[in-house]
Amino acid sequence: MLDVAGLRKVYEGQGHRVEAIADLTFRVGTGEFACLVGPSGCGKTTLLRCLAGLLAPTAGMVRVDGVPVAGPPPELAVVFQEYGRSLFPWLRVRENVELPLRAKGLPKARRQSIVDDALAAVGLADAGRAYPWQLSGGMQQRVAIARAVGYHPRVLLMDEPFAAVDAQTRADLEDLIRDVWRRLSVTLLFVTHDIDEAVYLGQRVIVLSAAPSTVDADLAVDLPDERDQLSTRADPRFTDLRTQVWSRIKRTTALEASP
Amino acid sequence: MIVRRTVALLGLPAVLVAAWWVASAGSTDFYRPPLARILAAFRDTWFGRRLLDDVAPSLARLAVGYTVALCAGIAIGVAIGASPRLRALTEPVLEFLRAIPPPVLVPVVILVAGIGDLMKVLVIVSGCLWPVLLNTVEGVRAIDPTLADTARVYHIGGTLRLRRLVLRAASPQIVTGARQALSIGIILMVISEMFAASSGLGFTVVQFQRSFAIPEMWSGVLLLGLLGVLLSLGFRAVEARVLGWYHGLRAVARGSR
Ligand SMILES: Nc1ncnc2c1ncn2[C@@H]1O[C@H](COP(=O)(O)OP(=O)(O)OP(=O)(O)O)[C@@H](O)[C@H]1O
Ligand SMILES: [Mg+2]
Repeated sequence: MLDVAGLRKVYEGQGHRVEAIADLTFRVGTGEFACLVGPSGCGKTTLLRCLAGLLAPTAGMVRVDGVPVAGPPPELAVVFQEYGRSLFPWLRVRENVELPLRAKGLPKARRQSIVDDALAAVGLADAGRAYPWQLSGGMQQRVAIARAVGYHPRVLLMDEPFAAVDAQTRADLEDLIRDVWRRLSVTLLFVTHDIDEAVYLGQRVIVLSAAPSTVDADLAVDLPDERDQLSTRADPRFTDLRTQVWSRIKRTTALEASP
Repeated sequence: MIVRRTVALLGLPAVLVAAWWVASAGSTDFYRPPLARILAAFRDTWFGRRLLDDVAPSLARLAVGYTVALCAGIAIGVAIGASPRLRALTEPVLEFLRAIPPPVLVPVVILVAGIGDLMKVLVIVSGCLWPVLLNTVEGVRAIDPTLADTARVYHIGGTLRLRRLVLRAASPQIVTGARQALSIGIILMVISEMFAASSGLGFTVVQFQRSFAIPEMWSGVLLLGLLGVLLSLGFRAVEARVLGWYHGLRAVARGSR
């Protein structure tokens, strides 16, 4: 579904140049749930923007559903890292979730029921009439998630979506995302800083090196599909996997540090 | 609460009017008649045929000119603001045109459009256009890139994008431009009627002055002031509706700092 081949991205600015991504190659199969971890500044957001058709690669090729990406592909949704700034401040929460559905040309009754479901799913059924800036950071993030989920995408890209929420909400949202993934059979690429979260959520964890980044490790998470915050995280296999991811990341940063 | 705000709003004007009333009460100066006489002239002058013959045409020309300038300014401003190339091309010209004081356009416009209603409307348009246009360009240019990306990803395009993203994002600047344009428009409404006209507020005030109808002349000045206040109150009511979200957002941002 997602096919990244020899991707390279260099930002050219006035007088300086940043090589964010050196050479990335990986695939994510249809309906797969892949998590992407890597140190800050390694080009995770850059990769997502290339996949979403918002940024042209310097070299290499990105395909979504077999089609080379030239602009935003259809049926792809993104939850941006700057969640607060990705909500329209002049629209109420409901209208924010509804706007992409309008663009799709859905009839009003259908839009309303989708919006109701999406807001209920993220626990914001009562916040529909508020403006985004009247909500806390975590609530705003949930609105952005509701908007993406209500769009019923076939591909969902999420950029550190839980960075601003408290531990309890975070656990709830993690389970919500897994639920959404299974219900909508969506292909999911989920960027996070949190290694435990990556292992808990994904079927696969892709580890990027520091910038200019390459794929450093690609681990299958062979935990059972039925996951639970308490028992899964206590599973010896879970601890084993997160130790593996940790050691990969430790090794890259150690290599970076030595001259 | 309401009482206190009313007092705050009307307190100073009331004091000033009272002071004027007292100071001018015994005045025998021909050019500075007592306020009582001015108010009497106000009633006799403006609550008769003049309301239809002079006030209405002035306001109609202002309304037409202002509306045309608003629509054209927003339309052209959106087009220029959305295209970096068009912006680079037009920027110097726009800055030059904006720098011309609008009243000097009156003689020029008379040359091309004669001295009828068209001339007066054109004068108002040519003065009101620039603040709206330039502010719209700024507002459209400064659309948050994350919001623009969001719209692209969700395929929000065409008129939906224009109505829900571009115009709303630029609305704070558009309103700023519209406010400047309104005060310029009132000035130009009066000035255009002082040059060559047979009706209108500016024409009437000059006419009174020339025929030494001094209390009537003062009453015209008073009327213009009152119209200005009413228009700006109306503007504020519209602004509160259009920019409610913006003021709320700003208040929240201030509160969290
Ligand atoms: N528009 C841009 N122009 C120039 N350099 C950029 C631009 N965007 C990102 N960069 C640089 O590219 C590198 C990768 O940035 P990116 O935002 O993709 O990292 P990230 O992995 O998402 O980081 P984080 O985890 O902190 O979000 C950084 O060094 C950043 O400074
Ligand atoms: Mg990032």
